[in-house]
Amino acid sequence: MSANPFFLLVAILFSIGLIGVTSRKNLFVVYMSIELMLSSVNLLLAILSQVLGDANASVIALLLIAVIAAEAALFLAIITHLYRENRTLDSDKFKNLSKVR
Amino acid sequence: MLDHNTLEIIVFSILTLFMVGGSLVMISSKQTVFSAFGFLLSMIALGGMFALLNNRFLSIAQIMVSVGAIVILSMLTILTVNAKEENLPEEKNKFKLIFISAIIVAPFTFLLYKSLTTLPEHFTKMGTINSKVIGSLLFSEWVLPFEIVSILLLSAMLGAIIIAKDKLKGKNS
Repeated sequence: MSANPFFLLVAILFSIGLIGVTSRKNLFVVYMSIELMLSSVNLLLAILSQVLGDANASVIALLLIAVIAAEAALFLAIITHLYRENRTLDSDKFKNLSKVR
Repeated sequence: MLDHNTLEIIVFSILTLFMVGGSLVMISSKQTVFSAFGFLLSMIALGGMFALLNNRFLSIAQIMVSVGAIVILSMLTILTVNAKEENLPEEKNKFKLIFISAIIVAPFTFLLYKSLTTLPEHFTKMGTINSKVIGSLLFSEWVLPFEIVSILLLSAMLGAIIIAKDKLKGKNS
């Protein structure tokens, strides 16, 4: 089996994550789409490790899993805090940083 | 009797179906818990995909960290936040937005696929990547990134606790 279907899968997964980030407003869905994009990069690293015959890419993928875990903890804490302050999950309501004074 | 290649293609197709289907459920469902279940399906299929790529260690790490920690943590947070129907964002023309952004993203997907296929397309016969290979590389050439990641995890834990804790009662007034 050649590696091209795997590359197609990586491209499709990354694009689905990008669509989720750009078109949805629910903060949890945005978070999970970002996780999906990071995971597709992880899959690409595992494929490259087999295609190029080099185990270093797998080590990078392992470090990336740790970074994904740290990102998940911070993002969920921020979502909890925002929900407690404003009682909404709509990302359009959080515009404080975009106001030009 | 099925030969090795056909079996590989069948397993790849099933895992692809689960991954793409789960992620489509994730971005299109209104209830947040259903999104989390689609995400769970996608992550489990990704663990299977690592096993198909002959990468034993990453498969176990994916199942333990992504499925066992991240998805469970997000589900716990979703159930703790317990958003009512009126607190969810109002997305009347959600499918129209998804369709428009899919059209915008499609050329990017094609470009990504075309640039990835310039890589060599045949797998090398390098054998399975188990924890012995990963460990010897991690503690010989990747020691500094490993330490930086440990500091990052510690600071992320402290930051998450500080951000998510309740306000003290005296400060509120």
